[in-house]
Amino acid sequence: MIGLEFTIMQRALLACVLAGFLTGLMGVFVVRMRLSAIGYSMSHGAFAGAALGIATSTNPLVTGVLFASATAFLIGPVADRARLHPDAITSIVFPLNMALAFVFLTLTPEIGLTSQVANVLWGSIISMTNSDIVYLVTLCAATLAIIHFTWKELFAIMFNRKLAEADGIPTKPFIYLIIFLSGVVVTISLKLVGGLLIYALLFNPASSALQFLEDMRKIVIASPLIGVATNLVGLAASLFLDLPVGSCIVLVSTIVFAVAVLLSPKRRRKEVQ
Amino acid sequence: MEAIIKLEDVSTVYEGERRPAIKNVNLTLERNELVYVVGPNAAGKTTLLETINGLLPLFRGSVSVLGLDVQTRGRAVRCEIGYVPQDFMVEPGEPYKALDVVLMGRYGRTGALHRPEDKDREKAVEAMRMLGLEELANRPMGKLSGGQQQKVMLARAIAKEPKILLLDEPFSNLDPESREKIPSLIMQLHEEKGLTTMIVTHDVHKMLKQCRRVIVMNDGKILVDESPEKALATVNGSAAFSLGVIQ
Repeated sequence: MIGLEFTIMQRALLACVLAGFLTGLMGVFVVRMRLSAIGYSMSHGAFAGAALGIATSTNPLVTGVLFASATAFLIGPVADRARLHPDAITSIVFPLNMALAFVFLTLTPEIGLTSQVANVLWGSIISMTNSDIVYLVTLCAATLAIIHFTWKELFAIMFNRKLAEADGIPTKPFIYLIIFLSGVVVTISLKLVGGLLIYALLFNPASSALQFLEDMRKIVIASPLIGVATNLVGLAASLFLDLPVGSCIVLVSTIVFAVAVLLSPKRRRKEVQ
Repeated sequence: MEAIIKLEDVSTVYEGERRPAIKNVNLTLERNELVYVVGPNAAGKTTLLETINGLLPLFRGSVSVLGLDVQTRGRAVRCEIGYVPQDFMVEPGEPYKALDVVLMGRYGRTGALHRPEDKDREKAVEAMRMLGLEELANRPMGKLSGGQQQKVMLARAIAKEPKILLLDEPFSNLDPESREKIPSLIMQLHEEKGLTTMIVTHDVHKMLKQCRRVIVMNDGKILVDESPEKALATVNGSAAFSLGVIQ
């Protein structure tokens, strides 16, 4: 893989940086708001949507965003309206999306396990196009703007949802916002590691940052940086070892998390006590 | 006198439950009233507070706070209520500074999408000073003791500059010295600011000294709504409390 074209490498590097930043940032909100199970469903919703796009020769990105949005709508407002516990709805939606994804992928026999299908399953950073980079840049700008304007509310909800509600903050719209935004971020980043591994990008950097830092503002800055770093190291490992990029990124971010757990000053203090 | 809190025939049922947690409750609190709520575990005391601030939906009846219906204007009502929940504790690694948590009390008042201003920070710092927490302002919540965390919750409620205080066993984790000081501080605030105050407690001795009205609850109902002496007499003579849940 070392001999890749310069422009492909540039795009790969940019995609790693942007997707790592985005997923690392959104992961903080997903983890702190205890939406992890919802995150799994969202990533598999995006996966199923992309699979539908391939089966119907539509842009997988568009169908991925549509499916992720539909999943967000199901596990957000619809589940709330039906008074379904988050565990119950995610337990239903998660396998449903997986089942749909595999049905879509086998719907058109001539597609088989083509490179396009493989890209959706476990990602292909070298297939990143200029359009993908533009989407990622736009999404980065939009996400940062949204978080800037809603920071106060998100900060309070991440501390304790019930207390935030007791202080007069309408928590539901902000939680739905995070669910929808995570769905879009996951879909746009799908090409990097594929539908089966994408949620690791969402949770690992945030979980690693939470092991070390005791200030939420610093965690919100550190998690995207960890996301970027692990993506770049994962990409380098993939190029040198000639292994799939997505798997390398996930392995690196898992190692980072394991090291963070082992070296966490929070844990050390606890043992001393 | 003006009714600040008014409950009419209120019943609240938790989701998935059939038995109401509070049943046919009628209650009126006037401006600047201080009321203690006592009762055994699962009597409905916490449910009563959470029904008043609109955190729990009503099954039957109506709740009006500051002249607003909490079912339709819950958010506006909650911006005026300083609320301390029962047994609030964070995990040891909680990455929030004490001052941030106190400042959050003002977020509802600040308004959607607006950042807190210097005035809000000053109020938060002032509330922390009142509770003797100024040196802990920049410490993570997870590193504070249970009593210190409880004081942070009280500071959060006070920083809000509320018209109503709803305190659910707010002194349970405090050390003996703070148990003397903090209730006096609440009394002082209640009197100086004219706050309508409801305190859920098990400390009957404290209530005898500090208030003129006590609500005794059991099995989701208000059994007694009287002076502390009469309430205590009823409690002592009632089989419902013979297990010594109220000391």
